[in-house]
Amino acid sequence: MTTRSWLKAIPTPSTRLLLVITGIIGLSILGFIGWVIYLDRVITNEFQGRLWSVPARVYAAPLELYVGAPTTADDLDMELRRLHYQPGDPATGPGFFRRRNGDFELHARRVQFIDELRPATRITLHANAEGITGLSAADGSDVPVFRLDPLMVGSVFPIHGEDRIILTPAEVSPQLRAALKTIEDRRFDDHHGVDPRSIVRAVWANLRAGRIAQGGSTLTQQLVKNYFLNDAQTFGRKLKEAVMAMRLEARFSKEEILVAYINEVSLGQDGQRAIHGFGLGAEFYFGKPLSELDIGEQALLIGLVRGPSFYDPVRHPDRAKARRNLVLQELASTNVISEEEAKRASAKPLLVRSRGGGYFPAFMDLVRRHLKRDYAEADLSAAGLSIYTTLDPKAQSSAEQALSRGLARLNAARRDKSALLEGAVVVAEPQSGDVLAVVGGRDFGREEFNRALDARRSIGSLVKPAVYLSALETGRYTAASVLLDAPLELKLGDGTLWAPQNYTREEFGSVSMVHALAESMNLATVRMGLDVGVEHVADTLVKLGLDRRPALNPSLLLGAVEMTPLEVVQMYTALANGGFKARLHAVRAVLDDQGKPLKSFKVEVEAVASPELVYQVDRMMVQVTQRGTGRGVTAKLGSKILVPAKTGTSQDTRDSWFAGFTGSHLAVVWVGFDDNRSTGLTGALGALPIWADTLGSLRPSSWEPAPPPEVEERWIEFSTGLVTGPSCSNDAVIVAVPRGANLPTKPGCAAALMRAGIE
Amino acid sequence: MKTSTPSADAPGNVVRIALTNALMLASLAGCSLLQPTRSPVAPPERTIPNPIPEAPKPSAAPATPPPAPAALPATPTAPPPPAREYHLNPATQSLVAQAHSQIARGELPGAATTLDRALRIEPQNPLLWIELARLRLTENDGRQAESCARKALALGGLDPQTRSKAGHALVDALRLLHREPEARELEAQPWMK
Repeated sequence: MTTRSWLKAIPTPSTRLLLVITGIIGLSILGFIGWVIYLDRVITNEFQGRLWSVPARVYAAPLELYVGAPTTADDLDMELRRLHYQPGDPATGPGFFRRRNGDFELHARRVQFIDELRPATRITLHANAEGITGLSAADGSDVPVFRLDPLMVGSVFPIHGEDRIILTPAEVSPQLRAALKTIEDRRFDDHHGVDPRSIVRAVWANLRAGRIAQGGSTLTQQLVKNYFLNDAQTFGRKLKEAVMAMRLEARFSKEEILVAYINEVSLGQDGQRAIHGFGLGAEFYFGKPLSELDIGEQALLIGLVRGPSFYDPVRHPDRAKARRNLVLQELASTNVISEEEAKRASAKPLLVRSRGGGYFPAFMDLVRRHLKRDYAEADLSAAGLSIYTTLDPKAQSSAEQALSRGLARLNAARRDKSALLEGAVVVAEPQSGDVLAVVGGRDFGREEFNRALDARRSIGSLVKPAVYLSALETGRYTAASVLLDAPLELKLGDGTLWAPQNYTREEFGSVSMVHALAESMNLATVRMGLDVGVEHVADTLVKLGLDRRPALNPSLLLGAVEMTPLEVVQMYTALANGGFKARLHAVRAVLDDQGKPLKSFKVEVEAVASPELVYQVDRMMVQVTQRGTGRGVTAKLGSKILVPAKTGTSQDTRDSWFAGFTGSHLAVVWVGFDDNRSTGLTGALGALPIWADTLGSLRPSSWEPAPPPEVEERWIEFSTGLVTGPSCSNDAVIVAVPRGANLPTKPGCAAALMRAGIE
Repeated sequence: MKTSTPSADAPGNVVRIALTNALMLASLAGCSLLQPTRSPVAPPERTIPNPIPEAPKPSAAPATPPPAPAALPATPTAPPPPAREYHLNPATQSLVAQAHSQIARGELPGAATTLDRALRIEPQNPLLWIELARLRLTENDGRQAESCARKALALGGLDPQTRSKAGHALVDALRLLHREPEARELEAQPWMK
C-alpha cells in the first residue's frame, strides 16, 4: 500500500491533519528521548572515565640515612618538614617528630617503597653539622640504614601525559567546599543539576544591567562545560549542557560531582598547558599543596574560576586582588569565615610563591618520556600506579636556585635588555645513571620549552675530552706529549678555507697536551685531531653515547655538533665512570595498585672505552679546574676537591657550557639565548658559576677513583711536558700516563728527582 | 673509601721505598730498560692535592709487589700504587646481607632493588659491583654480568682480593656467554689465584 492510498483510507482531511501532527510530535518526543539517552551515555562515560582513571602518583627518591650520610641536622629538619612531619610528641602517632639539637625522635609513617611496605616505625636519629652520626631503634639497638618517606612530587596520566594533582574526597577540606559553593552555586546541595531559580535571577540581573553580568550555571553545569571545552554560548549548547548536568546528578552523588569539579575546573594557562584543578593550581600559583593554603590563597583560586585569564594574578594583579577580596567578603557575609579572618586575609599580598615545594615540570617531562621509552602502554593505563623516580629534591632545588640566581646576575649585567638569557641544568649520579635533577629554563616552576631535553646546541669545547681520548687511543700520545699551538688553514671539501683561532687570538707555540686541554687551545687541538682523524673522533662520540653520527667536518674537532644538555650528560657518564657508559634513567620502578612492580629495575652499564685511557683523560681534565679555563670551580669549591671538567663556548659565544663531575655528581650547565644570538659569555663566565653554585650546596666528594694498574701518575712540567717534580719546578702538575712510559726529563732535574726518591 | 689523602707518614714511606727497591731489583734481573735517572714520584710536599692513595698499613702490605700487567714492561720509573682494601660500610653491608637472603628466597627483583639502594650509598665500591655481577649471573644475564664484573675490576684493580673476586665473576660471565677461550685466558692470569 502506498502512502497516498493509506492517506485515502482516512475519512476526513481534518482527521488526517491531526494524525500527521500527532505523528510529528510523537517522533519528536522519541527523538528527544533518544538524544537524552545519547547525551546520558556520553557524559556518563566521560565522567566515569575521569573518575576511575586515578592518575599515577610520582615519587622522588627516598633519602637514605646511615652513619656518614651527608645529611646534616638542619637538612634532616628541613626534609622532615618537607614530608609534612610535624614537631610534636612522637608518641602522639606517626607523622610527628621531636628535635633536640642534633637528636631527632621520629615516628615515621607507614610507607610503600619499591621493595617493601614498611609499617609505622619509631626511630632515633643523631646528626651534626657534617652528617648523620647514629641511628637507633625504639629498643635501643643500632639501625644500619633507614630511609625516609619518598616525597610525592605529582600525579600524571602516563598515557596522555597530562599531569594533575588529583585530590581524593578526604583531601578536600570542608572549608573549601563551603567556600566554593558560596561563591559559585549556593543551592548546589538542593538542585538536580540545573537551578531554575538562579537562571531566573541571572536573566533578571542581566536584563537590568543590559549585559551578561551573571551566569546561572550550577557547579554541575560548569563541570560538564569543562569536559567539552567549548565556549560557544548558543541555545542548543546550553540545552545540551543542562540535559547532561541533570543526567550526571541522576547518576552520581553530590560528593562525587563536587570532588570531580575541584579536580577538573580550569584555573589558568601555563604556556601550552592548562592548569586543571585546585591541587595543581595550588602548586602552580603558590608552590605548595592545597592543604597548606590559607583562606586568602584559597579565595584567590576560587576567584579564578570565573575567569582564569581575566583575573590572572601574574598579568592582572589588581583585578585578581579585587576579586580575591570580593570573594573573602562574600565568605564573611555568609559566615563561612569570620569578618576578622576576611579582613586579615584581604590585607595580605597577592602571590607569595614559596618554591621548594614539590612541583618540578622539567623533571616530570623526562619521567613521561622515559615511561614511554621503557614501559608498554597497556601496562601504564592501569589505575593507581605509583612511579618511583630518581629525583633528588635537594639537588633539584640547588640546581633551580643556582640557575635562577646565576641568570638573574648575568641578565642584570647586560645592557641590551631586549631578550633574557636562558639556561638549563642536568645533574646525574654517573655510576648508576640516575638523573637527579633537571631544570629546563629560567622560570623553572612553569612548564615551557624544556631546554635541558630539547635545546640542541653547539657543544663547543665540551667535545675536546672526546678528541683527547681518541688521541690516547692511537697510542701515539700521552698527557705529556708536546703539541704545536700554531695557526693553520685548511681547504674544506666545499673549497672554502677554514682558519680556526684560539678564543683569545693568542698562539701558545709548543705546549704539553695537558696544558692544551686545560687552556682549551683550539689550534693545538685541531692539529692533533687532524692527525688522529675526524672520523675517529666521530666514532668516539658515538661510542660514548651520541645517538647519531655527527658530520665529518674538521670543525667537529672544535665542537661543531649540536647536542642537548641531557645528551651531553649521557656522553660524559662514560668519562665520569671509568669508561663505562651508564644508561640515564629517571624512573626506577612502577608499582601497580597492589604494590607489585611492573618490571624489575636494572642498573645498566656498558664498557665503551678503556678504563686506563679514560683515567688519563680525566686526570688531564682535573687541570682544567686546577689551573685552566675552569679555575673558577676551585675558587668556589676549594682545591681539596678534584673536579675533572670542561668549559665550552660555541662560535660567536652563542652557547656557554660547563660540564664536570665529582665523586658523587655529574652536572652539565648550558646558558644562551633561545634565538641563538651571541651572549658574549665564555663557558667560564656564563655556565661555570652556576655549575659551581649547584654543586657547592650538595657536599660533593672529590673525584678519586683508584688509578688502574696499567697507569702511573707522574709529575710533569705543565708548559713543556717534561718530567719534573715540585722540588725542581714551580710549574709541576700530576698527570697519568701508561705505566713505564718513557718520558723525557727536564734538564737539570734528574739529580733532584733521584735525591727526592732516595730520601 | 676516603683513602686518597696524601700520606707522608713514616711507615708509608718505608713501605713505598721497600716496594721501589723490590721493583728495581726485579727489573735489574729481567729487564734492560733500567734508567737510573728515574725516581719515585710522591714528593714530600704538595701544593695541589694528590690522588695517589694512602699507603697501606705495614701489616696489610703485600710481601712482593703486585705483578705488572703482562703487556707492559716493568720499569723502575715509579712504585706501583699501593694496594687499597675495600670494605662495605655498615649500611651497605646490611643491605648486601638483605639482598643475599632475598636471592636465597628466589626474590630476584627484590634483591636487585636492595643492591640498587646500596649502590646509591656507595656507588664506587667495587664489592657492590661484584654483588651486582653475581646477581646478573643468577638472572642469566651474561651481558650485564660481564659489564658489572668489568666495572668492579676497573674500580678495585689495586686490591688483590677484590681483583680476583671480580675476575672470577667475569670468568663466570664469559662462560655464560659461551666465550670459553677468553674465560680460560683470564683464569690463567697470576692475579686470579
